[in-house]
Amino acid sequence: MTSITKIPAGVQYFFDDEVRLRRSIEQKAMKVFSGWSYDEIILPMFDYQELFARGMGEQKASHTYRFVDREGALLALRPELTSLVARTVATRFKTKPRPIRLSYSGEVFRYDDPAERAVREFHQIGIEHIGEPGIVADIEVLLVASEVLTTLGLRDFRIALSHVDFFNGVAAFLKLRKKERALLRSLIDRRNSHALADFLEQVAPQVEPDRRVGFCRLTQTAGKEDAIEHANQIIINDRSRAAVDHLARIYSTLTALGLRDNFDIDLGDTGSQKYYTGLVFKVFVPEWGVEIGSGGRYDELIGSFGMPEAAVGFSFSLDGIAGALAGSARPDASNSSPTAHQINCAADLATAFGDALEKRAEEKRVKISAR
Amino acid sequence: MRGNEKTNNGLTIALSKGRMQDDALEIFGRAGIAVDEADLHSRRLLVKSADQRFNFIFVKPSDVPTYVEYGVADVGVCGLDVLMESRADVHEPLDLLIGRCSIAVAGRREVVGQDYNLLATVRVATKYPRIATAYFQERGIPIEVVTLSGSVELAPVLGLSDRIVDLVETGRTLKENGLEVIDIITESTARLIVNRASFHLKRAIVRDLVNELTKVL
Repeated sequence: MTSITKIPAGVQYFFDDEVRLRRSIEQKAMKVFSGWSYDEIILPMFDYQELFARGMGEQKASHTYRFVDREGALLALRPELTSLVARTVATRFKTKPRPIRLSYSGEVFRYDDPAERAVREFHQIGIEHIGEPGIVADIEVLLVASEVLTTLGLRDFRIALSHVDFFNGVAAFLKLRKKERALLRSLIDRRNSHALADFLEQVAPQVEPDRRVGFCRLTQTAGKEDAIEHANQIIINDRSRAAVDHLARIYSTLTALGLRDNFDIDLGDTGSQKYYTGLVFKVFVPEWGVEIGSGGRYDELIGSFGMPEAAVGFSFSLDGIAGALAGSARPDASNSSPTAHQINCAADLATAFGDALEKRAEEKRVKISAR
Repeated sequence: MRGNEKTNNGLTIALSKGRMQDDALEIFGRAGIAVDEADLHSRRLLVKSADQRFNFIFVKPSDVPTYVEYGVADVGVCGLDVLMESRADVHEPLDLLIGRCSIAVAGRREVVGQDYNLLATVRVATKYPRIATAYFQERGIPIEVVTLSGSVELAPVLGLSDRIVDLVETGRTLKENGLEVIDIITESTARLIVNRASFHLKRAIVRDLVNELTKVL
């Protein structure tokens, strides 16, 4: 039998200041979401494994905690929230006017290789904007993400923008087979310049060497307008060009809004989820060593549960944001717990508790002591 | 997973202690990033470059990917063998072409050329359980991994395992123990690896470093 003091790998307990910090982040983020007309949705903790497999792809969905229901159907603790939102919209919100704006905050669970990731329980806060294709919704969600970060005091955030059709266009242009495509994606994603150059020489000997070198360089470094200009000189296929044009329009709008410093173009980002179809982005802050949020457009996911429908959204890792803020001052931690009025109940109970009720009626903080 | 905000203005570089450290420092030196000799000979594990722009930390080779993945170091130098085994989620923009060796499957001379019995389990001793498992599983061969942390060549000699998966440089150690290479899994060289967040947040300095190093390779 397991010792009662032993805890399962990957579970988390929070208390004291950590709880106050997490709750305050959650509240501030939800308030920003609500300010942009996003309504909160509460989703089930578990659902059919099949649902998540459809959303994230079989491979990623294999990292779930699974169990069976009474009929023997396979269930899973939710490893992410977007698939749940997508199915809900496709089945329950058929008649609601579009666009639909939803926000959520909740834990997700991933059963990862114990040696690879320490934590298997994460808290995600995010939004989904459904039923509107195109640039307006893309810019809207970027501004919402940006406002959340600014509100939380993470002013030096960096959001790196990319578009999955940049990669898809190149892969189609090179007429890559499935396996080569996966290899190209991984080489670009890991910025493996050496291997990427070799790979291109092998699969695309017909492309001029200059253009190949240019492409390698393009996917190696993130940039600002220069990345877009550079891409326009290198890329000749229509699909990738359209993707770059889309990013250029988003970028010039963000620049006009004075947000240029906070946004980068990173054509080496090929999209972290299988269901992304357009704009994709990742969020970084100097206070934390790994990305604290990511998002993108997924115009085909909802269609796999019913009528096809455009959608874009993102989620932040509450754990990442809390980690980033834990190092700095916590203005809210002290505010939320003002000094309590000590009430001694050693003598007359009715008098002492009467005093407590009075203070509570004035919404003051009380602390009862028996001695 | 804490980022290294305290050293935000410079760049923190994790190097593998030991043989690769000297070769790596030599390349950094050629790129104009010098470290004071006296600092190197001290037992300090954190050393600043002469121009104060870089902080070097010296860690166990297999820990380099961890430091970089979690952003405690922005950049690191480690062998492809260590990187593959760690499966760290990092960028690997540069092959430094040092620390060249192979990750190979080896066995006693008598078993070289013998086919694997596709049904029976092969017992493999290694410092690289993930690389070994992936290699045999891809070929449909059942494997039992015996993880060792050194002197792996002894395992088949003493009958602890049928095969080993290990680094091979010259092949001399293998030969002296009556072993031979059966298959090369991959060639390995030292890689420059970069934390995903640092790649964006310290873009200019990371890009300059990669460019400078590329020039002197």
